[in-house]
Amino acid sequence: MSAYFAFARSSFHSQLAYRNEVWANIFGKLVQVFARVAIWQAAYAGIGGIVVDGVSLQQMVTYALLGGAVMGATRPERIIGEIGRSLKTGDIAVWLLKPLSYPLYLFANECGSFGYRLMTQVIPTIAFTALFYGMLPPATLFDGLMFIAFWALSFTLLFLMSALFGLIAFWLMTSFSLDWILGALLQLFSGLLIPFWFFPEPLATIARHLPFAWVVYYPNAVYLGRLSAADVWLHLGLGLAWAALFLAGVLWLWRCASTRIIVQGG
Amino acid sequence: MLIHHLRVLPLLVRMHVRSQMEYRGAFWLDRLAQILSYGSVFATIGILLARFDTLGGWTWPELALLFSFQLLAYSLGAAMSFVQLRDLEELVRLGTFDTLLVKPFSPWAYLVFSGLNIGYAGHVILAVPLMGWAVQSVDFAWSVWSASFLIAALLSATLLTAALITMIGATALIWVRSNHLFSIFFGFWELTRYPLNIFPGGIQTILITAVPLALTSSVPVGALLGKPIPILGDWAGPVALLAGPIWVLISIAYWRYATGKYQGAGG
Repeated sequence: MSAYFAFARSSFHSQLAYRNEVWANIFGKLVQVFARVAIWQAAYAGIGGIVVDGVSLQQMVTYALLGGAVMGATRPERIIGEIGRSLKTGDIAVWLLKPLSYPLYLFANECGSFGYRLMTQVIPTIAFTALFYGMLPPATLFDGLMFIAFWALSFTLLFLMSALFGLIAFWLMTSFSLDWILGALLQLFSGLLIPFWFFPEPLATIARHLPFAWVVYYPNAVYLGRLSAADVWLHLGLGLAWAALFLAGVLWLWRCASTRIIVQGG
Repeated sequence: MLIHHLRVLPLLVRMHVRSQMEYRGAFWLDRLAQILSYGSVFATIGILLARFDTLGGWTWPELALLFSFQLLAYSLGAAMSFVQLRDLEELVRLGTFDTLLVKPFSPWAYLVFSGLNIGYAGHVILAVPLMGWAVQSVDFAWSVWSASFLIAALLSATLLTAALITMIGATALIWVRSNHLFSIFFGFWELTRYPLNIFPGGIQTILITAVPLALTSSVPVGALLGKPIPILGDWAGPVALLAGPIWVLISIAYWRYATGKYQGAGG
């Protein structure tokens, strides 16, 4: 286990090495969050209301801050890109020789990157924007605690989805399109920009049942107290079931993919 | 010298296009994925407008025109610059940029044309029909003047995009690393799908001056449709038309400055 911890630590430190990039990333994240808030302020101003479908502007601003900063700390393109690169360079074959699990290595690597982004992007962005816009606290203490559980689930699910898409590259021999396809699904069905309560039916019902909903929509809805306690537990269970399904998918695909590796270089 | 350059450029482009089209299945799958991705962004804006009717005073067809204009200008400009200049950092790090300097050819022209990216076909396939629909759907009386303005503004936005990307890439010649600046570029670029007037004053100012990406989207489209443009007001139209050529001149000067500062980082 210490090897995986070392991978996570190494991933964390390697990204801290370039300070200009740290500042550029904080700046980029702040711009993105300010923009999301501006979009909602303009949308609410357009219809002249401060409450739309039972959601206040302040709640929507909080949703945008959470979606933009907190949930934006995981980067699927990094995970898919890492698998694609290993496949292209042939490095993937080396993993079969090591007494280590490649999927676990990817997870440890992403944990390190997540820690880096948490410290250098999420916390500064949340602190700054919360001061600026007045972010709402969790609806109740229970919702706050459950939000942390949903956040952990969101990170795990997003990692597993990305790894699953990345492993499909073994058959397509390109990871480029997989990265874009997952990005498209997340853009529309995770609730990243627009929560499902503003979706038209039956699209909203479909979106609520897809696994992408657990990446942004459900954690944020729990934070804002939009789900009853029973629904929170139910959706946590459903989210864990999705994670178990994706985990089985990743392990199965990795086993199939391992048998497909053909080393062409010397 | 110039004739020699012009004769070689089509050969460079042809060689690269052939190499890109070698795996046709993968090429078109990648383009389909990009169409899906931008399509989902467009659908998200559509869902927002279905519930809220307008955004910053812009209707759904007007936002569709803005989205298609932004995507088309970016894809045409980035085809001539993005991947090529993004990879410059690696050429500097490994020292292979030195080999371009000893060629009897402009390093910039060699980089750009030997890597001309036809991968932006997906963007164009999505943006052109969307623009066609939006042009017919907006509540606007088209004339020869306004149609000419749209085309000229698109050309200016294309040049501006390529100029900005060239400048970011050229920074690698001084700093060795410059790709993190692309994350700022794309952070701002995503905002330009929306009208400029919805953003706070600080972001509006940056989008017109330091990272003038608003001049590749909401400023020209807003000027065309007669929308109020923050900061620029009635100057929005002329500024949008002049921005491309002016930033090209600035980027040429910057490229020369950066090449002069280049010392080589590779072994």
